[in-house]
Amino acid sequence: MSRLYDTLEPSVMDKKMLQQAVEEQGPQDQAGQIAKEEGVLYEEVCQLCLNYRNILKIDHLWQFTSLTKLQLDNNIIVKIEGLECLTNLKWLDLSFNNIEVIEGLNSLVLLEDLSLYNNRISVIENMDTLLNLHILSLGNNLFTQLENVIYLRRFKNLRTLNLAGNPICREDHYKIFVAAYLPELVYLDFGLLNEETREQAHGKYQYAIEEMRHNETQERKAIEAKKEQEDQFQLHMDAFVEHLNGPYLFDSMYADDAEAAKLSYLPGVPVLLETFKSQLVELCMQMFEVGLAQHGRREDELKSFFDCSREAVEENQQRAAQSVADFERARRQVMSEMQQATDPRLLETQLNHCNDEINQLCDSLMTQELQLVDQLEDIIKDFERDILDMVAGFVEVVQGIFAQCRDLENHHHEKLLEIAVATLEQVAKNELEEDMPDDVRMLFVDKDTVINAVSASHDTHLLKIDNREDELVTRVNSWISALIKSIQDKEVKRNRKRIAEIHNYIDYVRDQLSEMRQERWGKNI
Amino acid sequence: MEFDKGVAIDEAKEDGRDELNKDLLKLDEALRKIQITPACSLPEQAQQVDLSQCPTSYKENSPQEKLLLAIAENFRCQYAHIYPDRKPLLLCPLNECGVQKFVSTTLRPTLSPFPELYSWDGCASFVSDFLSLEPLDPPTDPPKHLHSPTWVLQTNRGSCFEFSTLLCSLLLGAGYNAYCVSGYAVKEMCLLNQSLQQCPLLGPLVKVKATKQRQQVKKYSVKPPRDLCSGFEQRQEDRRQAEAQAILLQKQQEEERLREDGERPPPDALLGLRVHCWVLVLADSREVPENFFIDPLSGKSFSTTDKCFLGIESIWNHQNYWVNMQDCRFGCAEMTYDLGDAVKWEYLLYGAAGQSVLTIPDMMMQQEVEDEDEEESRVFEMPPSWVNQIKISQQDMETRCPGGMKVIHYRKAKLEKFAPYLLKDGLVTRLTTYSDLDCTHSSTVKEWYQHRHDHLEERELNKATNVTVEHFRPGRSFALRSHRYIMMTPETERQMDFYSCARADGLVRRVEMPFEMTETFENRPDFLYYRHVVFGKRVKVFSPSNKEAPDRVDRPIQKVVESFHRDQSKPAREDVAERIFLVCEDRIQVTYHLEDDRIIPAWRNFIKPKDSGDSQKPHSFSRQMASTFHVDSFEKPCKNLFLYEMLVHMMKEEETVALRVKDSEKEVRAILAVREQEESSIELHISIYNTARNERARCHREAQERMAQEERLQEQEKELDFLAPFLAQLVDPENLTRQVALKLRSDCLADLKQRLVDKANLMQARFERETQELQQKQQWYQKNQLTMTKEDEDEYLAYCSDAMLRIHVLKLRLSSHKDKAPQKYLSLDERLRRDPRLANHLL
Repeated sequence: MSRLYDTLEPSVMDKKMLQQAVEEQGPQDQAGQIAKEEGVLYEEVCQLCLNYRNILKIDHLWQFTSLTKLQLDNNIIVKIEGLECLTNLKWLDLSFNNIEVIEGLNSLVLLEDLSLYNNRISVIENMDTLLNLHILSLGNNLFTQLENVIYLRRFKNLRTLNLAGNPICREDHYKIFVAAYLPELVYLDFGLLNEETREQAHGKYQYAIEEMRHNETQERKAIEAKKEQEDQFQLHMDAFVEHLNGPYLFDSMYADDAEAAKLSYLPGVPVLLETFKSQLVELCMQMFEVGLAQHGRREDELKSFFDCSREAVEENQQRAAQSVADFERARRQVMSEMQQATDPRLLETQLNHCNDEINQLCDSLMTQELQLVDQLEDIIKDFERDILDMVAGFVEVVQGIFAQCRDLENHHHEKLLEIAVATLEQVAKNELEEDMPDDVRMLFVDKDTVINAVSASHDTHLLKIDNREDELVTRVNSWISALIKSIQDKEVKRNRKRIAEIHNYIDYVRDQLSEMRQERWGKNI
Repeated sequence: MEFDKGVAIDEAKEDGRDELNKDLLKLDEALRKIQITPACSLPEQAQQVDLSQCPTSYKENSPQEKLLLAIAENFRCQYAHIYPDRKPLLLCPLNECGVQKFVSTTLRPTLSPFPELYSWDGCASFVSDFLSLEPLDPPTDPPKHLHSPTWVLQTNRGSCFEFSTLLCSLLLGAGYNAYCVSGYAVKEMCLLNQSLQQCPLLGPLVKVKATKQRQQVKKYSVKPPRDLCSGFEQRQEDRRQAEAQAILLQKQQEEERLREDGERPPPDALLGLRVHCWVLVLADSREVPENFFIDPLSGKSFSTTDKCFLGIESIWNHQNYWVNMQDCRFGCAEMTYDLGDAVKWEYLLYGAAGQSVLTIPDMMMQQEVEDEDEEESRVFEMPPSWVNQIKISQQDMETRCPGGMKVIHYRKAKLEKFAPYLLKDGLVTRLTTYSDLDCTHSSTVKEWYQHRHDHLEERELNKATNVTVEHFRPGRSFALRSHRYIMMTPETERQMDFYSCARADGLVRRVEMPFEMTETFENRPDFLYYRHVVFGKRVKVFSPSNKEAPDRVDRPIQKVVESFHRDQSKPAREDVAERIFLVCEDRIQVTYHLEDDRIIPAWRNFIKPKDSGDSQKPHSFSRQMASTFHVDSFEKPCKNLFLYEMLVHMMKEEETVALRVKDSEKEVRAILAVREQEESSIELHISIYNTARNERARCHREAQERMAQEERLQEQEKELDFLAPFLAQLVDPENLTRQVALKLRSDCLADLKQRLVDKANLMQARFERETQELQQKQQWYQKNQLTMTKEDEDEYLAYCSDAMLRIHVLKLRLSSHKDKAPQKYLSLDERLRRDPRLANHLL
């Protein structure tokens, strides 16, 4: 590290340097010649070596997107930068530089071998995304915290680690500590981690490790549970009945309803609310069940449709591919025969015959494709009809249940109104025993206020129910139309691709034939 | 059938008359005995078995047996009286010693130690193989003699009754509910003539089961494309074809019938009268699902409704004897075998064990019971068998057939069986099939081998096509599985199959034609599954070195086609599906796998550069040398560099492929050479567990025994008698007086003392000598110390240390000797006191 780089002029990573390196390290001899004539594209270069060049700053590498191996060792690089675009990198060597902080590596997720040997790094950090790391060399740096090694636990594939020459190596339990916290490690500091060390490590750090492992398991379980929950919710979303398997609708109805809170202080209302809630929840559950069942049916239907259409397409493809393969084999045979043929008349008949064959193949391929298009059109039509029926049935059932919900709400509203009127009378007669908060008492100044409050609450509830219904129906409809459109688009795309393919091939074959004709005629004449 | 029935009735009537006239019967019996005797006396076999060796039970009847014979005689008389038109029963024939024995007691249930004989088919095939048949004479009467199973096993021959008795004994021992059946059967069965039957080994051709198309109609299955053919024309055509087919079928049937008529043997005059004996196995024991017959002569099983069996007179096991009361006019098809049913089966002994409860007590039986033991009402049980235990040796099991070989003639086939190790080439079975009924023109020969060192198991030669197919067990060199060939010379038509899992290259099959070779592979890491090579004509090179071995010049390769399975790790457009090396045209064609939704694959054609002879030199390359086709016209054309590198790679591949092909040819030649060598000197493999045959194992065992013997002798010698030299001096060493004994003891002790002292002295002397020498040397050193050279000094020092060591050792020995000497002395004294010869006098 006591290199006297100050005395040397640092060189700049410019286009010239890169070009030179690429040419030097590219293919040699004849291949090199060809490459030179053609020019080398930077995005196709797979390996690049830029060592011993006194580079201070990494630059101009953004073009080398397919690079898998990059050597920048033995330079005077201070900062890791400019590597963000090299996402295919597997092998990165930055040893013998003047780097102080690990950074700028987050996009290199495929990295397997990383060397930062002989730098000035003091903390292991900023490598969270490098989960494929297999070999890591961090020797001759300035690590002082042994606990920092625990950071490396996240690399499940790490087998080889080099930390030699760091201050932490002078600590007594360095080796045992590393062996204990990185149980998958095979090689440490140029040597095999033997069984003995491992056992010692296990004995010494057993409890700490156990605890850590326990915590890690807990975290993993939590993540899994969350994921499962999300999956479940996604399923409900797909079935369009999310938040219907509980009192969510009820809660949402009362969430924005200020009047309801006040009204709940009236005598008898809590009981009424309770029954209302349970009835509503029951209806919601009904809807939820129906939704899930319908979703399952729709999925089955979809699967059956896709299976069948795939089968049909595959069968058709196989047949077509077979006939093309047979034709191609025969064509090659005939072409090579024609190359050798000398009799112009025979050649002519052969050429004509060949032409006929091509036309025949073209016809048969097109016929097959047309057949397939017809067949698929039929089943797509059938499928559309069935799935639309299914969805319509579902929407009908759901709307029926929503109507029940509204009836329930109306009923509830009437009851509430009765209570409210009765209470009003009581208040008017001053017979009310219970104490009411002042804002509630304010409602009972006259009849209109009370009725207005109750109606407002009722309107809010109805609005919520309507909203939920609208949401469901809209989403179902948009889903179905998107599905049908995607199926049709896919079929159109497939058809175009096939037609283009056939045309392309036939054109090619015809071109070959006419070339042959010209060539032979030219010779004969 | 009418005619046959008449004969049967006449015969039965005659028998009935005989019964009435006892003198006539006796005369008849006597006459028959005279006739039978010469047939039974088998010159060489009879000599082998010594009758005097038989135990007394063979020669005499026990009181119980006598009682049984009386019961049987009573039964016979009544039976003959009531059913005068039925044939006499076989109840008490004479055994080999000329003593009357009841048939049930001749059965000796025996469980043999061989696992093979634990199942009925194993037993049946053993019995049918092991014995040779003596036909009944006359064929219409049951025999007068019934030899014991032990006798039959010794002589290796017997009548159908003896076959059945042996088989039934084995089956009963193995736990089957088996019975001997005396009845009537067709001529072919009685005489063991199987030449009308299909050979069981040939069997019906295995019908390839047409895998049922799982034509599950799914909801959205596409409709088949519309058929534009006329339905009417189709129907007309179908009808025409059906008619033609019907005519053809009729003709065939006609021919078939004519042929069958020709093959059918002339009608048998004695049909329905030929006596036969076979075995019945009833269901429910040993998990037998339903009743069946076993013909002991052929060892085959038949259903109880089989047409070969024409009638049953009686059946018996080791416990009882039943007479059939059912109508056998139409064969045995409608018989029932519920032996408890006294209407259908008349029993000899009442309430014998193993029977279902009798519901209808029979008059006759009651009488009998009353006659036998009126007071005790104890039922009479069948006495134990008089026959010795049946012993089958390992040797017998191996040899199987008499003399180790057997020939069976089937319809258009001949089956030869040999005992293992009997023939030098390991042949155990040979099946020859013929194209005609007279068995003169053989069409195929199939041979099975065992214990061959070259792992050959089966060889089939088709005479018509001259094709030989050989099958091998796993474990051969090159993992050869089967080999199909016409000639053993290389480069001819052949097919070799391999155990691909045992081969590094995963080769499954190699098919060769004169100028072609096709190899198929399995489970290769490079996904290769097919390689087809076309060879050109060998270029003749007239040079002296090639004259001796023209085969060594390799045939030029014209074309190689290699196909690969899809490698999922690569994209389809870069995954090679097929490559064709057109060696003679200097071209290489590469075809890629199909992409999804494509029907036309991409391909590349290369023309090899003219100067490609030297692969080391860089090749000139031009764009024309490679042509590419890709169905997607938007595909970017690939770079020259890539094409060039691919061309170079392909040229290298071509070279390696050529090497592989040469290796394959070499392998074929090696296999053929090995096969020829193996066939010329066939060796049989002898298991190390086969103690009888394994020469080396036997030598080893004998050597071990000898060693053990020697060791024992040595042990004996070790026990030296320390008194012997002293006793030898005495006149009478046997009788010692006290005085002599005391003297012996003191002599002995004195002797030991002397030896101990001598030994001590010897050591002392040596010690002194060493010390003295050392001293002398030291003095000499002192004197000459100044004039000595370095070497001398070193030598001196080495001597000194040696001498010191020796002196030290001697000192140690001496001291330990001094310590131990008294102990030795005392122990000898002790042993002398204990010595049995002196003990009396010394204590």
